[in-house]
Amino acid sequence: MAKVKVATVWLEACAGCHMSFLDIDERLVDLVDLVDIVYSPIVDGKKIPKATVGVIEGALGNDEELHLAKEMRKQCDIIVAWGDCAVFGGINCMRNFTDRRQALKEAYVDSPSTVNPGGVIPHEDIPHLLPQAIPVDHEVKVDVYVPGCPPDADTILWVFQELLEGRVPTVPSEMMRYD
Amino acid sequence: MKEITLTIDGKTCKGAQGDTIMEVARKNDVYIPALCYLEGLTPIGSCRMCVVEVEKNPKMLTACTTPALDGMVVHTQTEKLREYRRQMLELIFAGRNHFCMYCSQSGDCELQDLAIEHGMDSVRYPYLYAGFENDATHRDIQIDHNRCILCLRCIRVCAEKVGTHTLDLQKRGWNATVVSDLGRRLGESDTCTTCGACAQVCPTGTITLREFAYRGRRKDCDDVVENVCPLCPVGCRIKVYVRTGSIARVEGTAVTEPDGGQLCRKGRWTLPRSSERERISVPMIREGSHYREADWEEALGLVAEKFKKAHEADSDGVLVSSLCTDEELALFVSLFKDGLGMQRLDTFDGDILRGFVKGFEPFSRQGVRPFTAAHNILESDCLVNLSAEPDDEAPVIASYMRVGALRNGAALLNISCKPNPYGDLTDIDAVAPSPEQSAALVQGLVDLVAGFKVPGSQGESGRDAMARLSEKTGIPGETIEEILERLRAARKPIFLLGGCLSRNPAAVTSAVNLAIACGAFFDDGIGVVPLVSSGNSLGAINTVLAKEPWIGEKKLDFLYVYSSGMVPEDEASLSAISGTKFVVVQCPFWAQPLVNLADVLLPAPAWYERSGHYCTIEGERRRLNVVVPPKGEVRGLASILKDLSADLGVQPGRPEESPCENVYASEKPPTEAQMVLLEEVRK
Repeated sequence: MAKVKVATVWLEACAGCHMSFLDIDERLVDLVDLVDIVYSPIVDGKKIPKATVGVIEGALGNDEELHLAKEMRKQCDIIVAWGDCAVFGGINCMRNFTDRRQALKEAYVDSPSTVNPGGVIPHEDIPHLLPQAIPVDHEVKVDVYVPGCPPDADTILWVFQELLEGRVPTVPSEMMRYD
Repeated sequence: MKEITLTIDGKTCKGAQGDTIMEVARKNDVYIPALCYLEGLTPIGSCRMCVVEVEKNPKMLTACTTPALDGMVVHTQTEKLREYRRQMLELIFAGRNHFCMYCSQSGDCELQDLAIEHGMDSVRYPYLYAGFENDATHRDIQIDHNRCILCLRCIRVCAEKVGTHTLDLQKRGWNATVVSDLGRRLGESDTCTTCGACAQVCPTGTITLREFAYRGRRKDCDDVVENVCPLCPVGCRIKVYVRTGSIARVEGTAVTEPDGGQLCRKGRWTLPRSSERERISVPMIREGSHYREADWEEALGLVAEKFKKAHEADSDGVLVSSLCTDEELALFVSLFKDGLGMQRLDTFDGDILRGFVKGFEPFSRQGVRPFTAAHNILESDCLVNLSAEPDDEAPVIASYMRVGALRNGAALLNISCKPNPYGDLTDIDAVAPSPEQSAALVQGLVDLVAGFKVPGSQGESGRDAMARLSEKTGIPGETIEEILERLRAARKPIFLLGGCLSRNPAAVTSAVNLAIACGAFFDDGIGVVPLVSSGNSLGAINTVLAKEPWIGEKKLDFLYVYSSGMVPEDEASLSAISGTKFVVVQCPFWAQPLVNLADVLLPAPAWYERSGHYCTIEGERRRLNVVVPPKGEVRGLASILKDLSADLGVQPGRPEESPCENVYASEKPPTEAQMVLLEEVRK
C-alpha cells in the first residue's frame, strides 16, 4: 500500500505543536511506516507538493503565512488546524488590540530588553504584517480542528490514525483542551 | 407547599410549587448546564446556557428563570439545544478575549469546561478583539474585564450576600463591564470589604485572587478539607484546598448555606497566609539576649522546675488563647485546675467574656439561652447595633446587618458610643459621648419600652422619663422617641452587642432586658447576638475563664502562655506578661512581640495542624480538622502536657470537654424569659 502523503507547516506559533507531535515517541516509527512526510519544518523541502493531509500549526499574522496557508489548501485534500493558534488565533492575537505600527514599535524599539538606538524597524525583504493575527479558518477552509496549547501527543496521533482509516475526525470532548 | 411532578428527559421529577425548572432538575440530579445561574443567588437567565425545550411550547426557555408547572415535559439534551448552547459559547468566546493558554484559571474555569463539553473545537464568528482593562489596582483582587462573560454572579453575591453593593454594571451590550462604586477601579473603592466573595463565584478567570493564582487549580489539589474558621465567634465553615502538603486556597462553603457560605477578609487571607509564616520549630531557651535550641526534655524540665517553685509560692498563672479547641481547653483544665488546683487561669479575652458571663448569668439561671444564632439577623425586621463594631469584630455579621437592612427592609438602629459602622444604611443613629451614657441609654429604653422600673429611677413615666434620659445620655429627645417607635413596631428585633458595652455586665443585662421587653424571641433563644471575641470564646467560658480578673494585679513568678499566634495580644496582657519573672510561651509562629517576652519558647501546632471542636455563637459545635500534619519537633498539646505533668509530679484530672449545648443550655422556651433588676448584676 502506498504511503499517505502528509505536509505540515509552522506558521505564527511557537513550534510547540510540532514538539507535541514528536512526543508520540516510539510510535513515530510505526507512523512513518504508513505516512510519508513530504513537507515539514522537520524535513527538507522547498515547495509544498501534493499531499493528502496538510497540517497547519499557527495563526496567520503576515502575508507569507497567508500565502503558505493558501498553498497548503491548494495542495492538500484535508487541512488539519493544530493547536490554539491555528484554531483560535491564540497568543498572537495579543497584538490585535493595537495597530500594526504600534506593535512593531513595541517589539523592535520600546520593549525594555531591546537595544536599538537608531529605532530601526526592519521592513525590507521580510513579510508584511496583516492588520490582525487571525485563525487559519478565517482565510482557508479547515477540515479538522485540534485545539490545545499544545494538543496532547495522543490526540495528535489519534487524529492521524483516524485520517489513515479514511475518516475525517472531530476531536471528542475527552481529548479536547485549550491550554 | 404543593408538590408538583415534571418529566425531565424522561425521568419523573418531583418539586415544589414555585420552583423553577432548574431547581426541580437539580433536586432530582438532572444536569442542565449553566454559567450565570448559581444556587443561592437570584437567577437572571442571562447566559442562555440553561435553555430547555418544553413540550407544547414553541420557544426555548431558560430553566433557571422559568417556573416549573405540574405536568411539564422538559427536554434538556436535544441536538437542537446542544447546537444553540455551542453557538452561545462561541459568541461568548468571540465577544471578549478568552485565551486559555495564559489564564491563571485555565483548568479551573466553568466557561472552558462547558465549551469542551459542547465540543467547541472552533469559533465560527469573527472575533471582536476589543481591548478591555485589566484592573490590578486592588491589593488582593484582580479584575481582568477581557475574560468577563457578564454572568453578574459577582454583582449579585456582592449585593445579596455581602450587602456592600460595591460591584455593579456600566454601559450596554458588548461594552458593558463590571464596575465598582460609581465608576471607580476596585482598588479605589471605599465600599469593598476585600472579602473575596466575587472571586469565589466567578466562573472564569475574570476576578482572581493574587494569593491563590498559580498555587494549584481546585481539581489538581490533593485534598479539600472541610474546616471551621477559628478567628471569630461566628465560626464560618471553610474549605481548605491542599496541594503538595501546603495550603493552596481557602474558600467559604456554598452560598446556599443559611450563613451564605461567606468568608470575610480575615478568614480569606489570614488563614492561608499563616501557613507561610515563620514557625517556632524546636523548643528554645533564653540565654541573655538570644535563644538557643534545646530538646523537649531539657525545656520541659526547666519549665517544671520554675513552675514548681512558683506554684509553691502561689505566684503562678496560665494564660491561654480562646482560639483553642474544646479538647485543648479541657486539657489545660485537667492539668492546671484539677491537677495543680490553680485558680489563675484565664484567656486573653477574659475581660470581655466576664462582662458577657456576668450579664447573662441571671437569664441562664432562668434556664433560657440569652442569645441567638447570628444568621437569625437575616430573619429580623429591626436590627439594633449596641456599640458593636462588626466590621472589625466579625465582618460576616456586618454583612448580615447590611443585607438585613438593604434586602429584607429591616430597620437599622445604631445605639453606640462609637461612630456608626453602617453609614447611610442606618435609620436612626444615636451615638452617646461615653460608654456609660450608651449603657444608660439602653437601660433607659428598657424602662420606657416596658414601663419597667429599675431601682434608682424615680418612677416617672412618659415625657418626664424621656427628658431625663435625654439629659443623662446626651441623645436628643426626638431621637429617643424615634427609637421607641421603631422598637415598639418591631416584630422580631435583634440586638447586636459588642465593643465598649461588652465589658460591662450591667449593660449586657440591659441589652437582654431590652430584647425581652421588645419581644425579641427566636427559637433558640433571646434576640441578642453577642460578639464574644474569638473562635472558641464560648468554649472558654466554662473551662479556663477566671471568675475574677487576676492578670496584672500582682507580679507573678511564673506564667505559662499558650497563644495561637493568629490574633495580636492585647496591651494589658502583654504588659502583665513582661512584668512576670519567668515566662513560657507556647506558640506556632514567631508572633511579635509576644515571643520576645519568653524565657522558654515551645513550638505548638498551627490551626491547620490541629483538630478539635469549636463552640460557635451559631449554636453549633463545629469541627476543626487537620489540614496538613505537623512537621519537625512540633508536638500535640496532649503529649506535651503529659510530659509536663510527669515532670511536675502531678496527676492531671480526666479531661472532659463540655459540649456546646451545655454552654447556656436552653431548658425552656425563650418566651418565658423574665427581665431582671440591674441590682442583681451589680452586686
